[in-house]
Amino acid sequence: MKLLKKSLIAVVIMAMLFGLAACAAEKASNSPTPSTTAPEDSPEQQPETITINFFSNLPDRTAGQGLLEQTILDNYMKENPHITIKVEALQDEPYKQKFQSYVASNNLPDIFNVWGQPSFFQAVMEKGYAAELNPDDYKDYGFFEGSTTDFSYNGKLYGLPRNQDMTTVFINKAIFNDNNVKIPTTYNELVNAAKAFRAKGIQPLSINGRDKWILNLFFQDLVIKVSGNQRTIYDASTGKTSFASDPDIRKAAELFKGLVDAGLFQDSFTSADYGAAQNLFLQEQAAMFYMGAWEVGMASNPDNSEHFRQNVALIPFPTVEGGKGKITDVCAWNGGGYAVSASSPVKDEAIKLLNYMMHPDNWPKIGWQQGLVVPGQNYKEYMTGKENVLQVQLTDILNTATSMSGTPWNDFNPGDWKANVENLIQEFAAGITTVDEFLEALDNVVPK
Amino acid sequence: MTSAGYDSPLKNAKTKARALRYIQIILCALMTVGCVFPLIWLIDFSLVKANELFGKNFLVWPKEPHWENYYLALTDGKVPQYLLNSVFVSFVSVGLIVLLSVMMSYGFTRMKWRLSKVFLNIVLLGFMIPIHATLLSNFITFSRLHIQDSPMALIIPYVAFNLPQATFIMTGFMDSVPKEIEESALMDGCSILRLLFTIVFPVLKPAVMTVIITSFINVWNEFIMAATYLTSDRFRTLPFSIYNFAGMYSSNYSAQFAVMTLSALPSLIAYVILNKHITKGIAAGAVKG
Repeated sequence: MKLLKKSLIAVVIMAMLFGLAACAAEKASNSPTPSTTAPEDSPEQQPETITINFFSNLPDRTAGQGLLEQTILDNYMKENPHITIKVEALQDEPYKQKFQSYVASNNLPDIFNVWGQPSFFQAVMEKGYAAELNPDDYKDYGFFEGSTTDFSYNGKLYGLPRNQDMTTVFINKAIFNDNNVKIPTTYNELVNAAKAFRAKGIQPLSINGRDKWILNLFFQDLVIKVSGNQRTIYDASTGKTSFASDPDIRKAAELFKGLVDAGLFQDSFTSADYGAAQNLFLQEQAAMFYMGAWEVGMASNPDNSEHFRQNVALIPFPTVEGGKGKITDVCAWNGGGYAVSASSPVKDEAIKLLNYMMHPDNWPKIGWQQGLVVPGQNYKEYMTGKENVLQVQLTDILNTATSMSGTPWNDFNPGDWKANVENLIQEFAAGITTVDEFLEALDNVVPK
Repeated sequence: MTSAGYDSPLKNAKTKARALRYIQIILCALMTVGCVFPLIWLIDFSLVKANELFGKNFLVWPKEPHWENYYLALTDGKVPQYLLNSVFVSFVSVGLIVLLSVMMSYGFTRMKWRLSKVFLNIVLLGFMIPIHATLLSNFITFSRLHIQDSPMALIIPYVAFNLPQATFIMTGFMDSVPKEIEESALMDGCSILRLLFTIVFPVLKPAVMTVIITSFINVWNEFIMAATYLTSDRFRTLPFSIYNFAGMYSSNYSAQFAVMTLSALPSLIAYVILNKHITKGIAAGAVKG
């Protein structure tokens, strides 16, 4: 008892002292605007050391895009020894939360990640938080046509996209061959494939329905293939037309329901998250996997089995019998990108860094050749011939695409729209709502 | 068990007792499985390759354990560095919480002053403040005070958010402790502070243990405040390790499981050691109602 009492008191006192000491030390080392610091005592360096604060939504710095980002930043610091880049990385949700805090305290990091969707970036551009970029700097950067649209406001450029995203259907050829099922190119073939696989007890298509947004993309793909007009779903989303009265959207919703009823999606798909859905496909228990093109690395990942790597392929989203959309009308957009803070004390240096990152020799070239991303810039010249089968097939689809959608419809409107339509489609996919209820509910959440 | 014919009441009672005993054992076994299974699951998943997870089976026993997940957790996940930060922050926070809650509850329950009930209620109102509502204002306040991105930016809110609960438990417990010991100490000429630390503190031990454990677990697992108030890698706490394996879309789950195993260990050990005190403390605090 006595010992406990004494140790408790000691602990508490020590704790307080520590806390105070840490606080004092911190105050001393923390300058109010930590962007430009005093020169350091190395004579051959440039007189001023510059710190650039970099706010990223890629917390994993050892794989995928995070690795690519870190590699380029490290290269930049090597080439410019007087520059220090401080990276703060948080995953999407905490990122958005903290982004708001930064905005509210007018304290945005010098360069930060943005999503090229009206729901995120429009307000940032509108309120002048992002620095204007000079489009002439990027003439030779080979950005795909229209890819900077979502990063521009009132004709001015405020950000750069980093990737070309597209929905794709990954397939496992072995499962199709072993079961004598035709690889679907049309809707009816897809339904038949679903039924054939179900009859043999195989999960036809794996999808991460718990993440909801994937269902929105799937629905958008159907609308595109029915109407042949990329605008259809956006016109309904902005109230120009309506979901319930547009015959193409209604048809797409009925087709969607048809697929659910045919058992296309794996069992309990509404509770499968990204990893669960993907692993079902990687473990060759599902014949297809509906996902974005960013997963092309699957075919060369040594963690995946040899058999899987030899049999994985990708196909464009099937057309619809009687639909006006061609197989080359695709659901593709530019998601993430970067912008520079307008109030940054080292704005010019930050823009220089941004330009370096997105230079054709860096993000697009390194990213493509290492199979980490599908760049938002023309990467044809960087093709090495060693691309994996998925990268080649994807490039074919992208190069022959006759139309691209742009920002997915669930990201199209600001505010609650995203959460609303994602919940609605999940309910619809789970069979809780009917086609009519689903379409009417969508019309009800369109911002007036 | 019952044979045909007459059963003596004694035998009946015996069978009943035995049946009860079986039910007890079964219930206990079920509860043990319920408690232990997540831990087994956690350790199991930390030893397999990420793409072997979520298959047909609940548990995937790897042919050979993939210890590299732990290696990744320790290197890329920066577990040792974050662990030190976590230990420091939780240590200081829990120390302050205990000290302040004991002193406050002593003031609220033993000392007679006007408005003490009101102030106690104001402190307890803190229960109802959602953390998310305070993020923005605290962020701005901290950056004006220049303590943003320092351990203080975590310790202050951690203490503040855990105090209501701690005070609640302490006052409840203190009410149930007879005043006589303190009275006799006072009569012997003991000062208030000495009284508090030498007489009251030891008596409060069960409640103190409860407060230590509950607030430690809260602080140990806290993420959103740490994510908001910290900028640099230097002060980040353990929960960030998990996010070091979160990719844009998918994550390295098995490395995350390894991180979780490592970060669950301290709380687990603390719980095993202090288990006896926790249940006692909670039950004691509950008497007040």
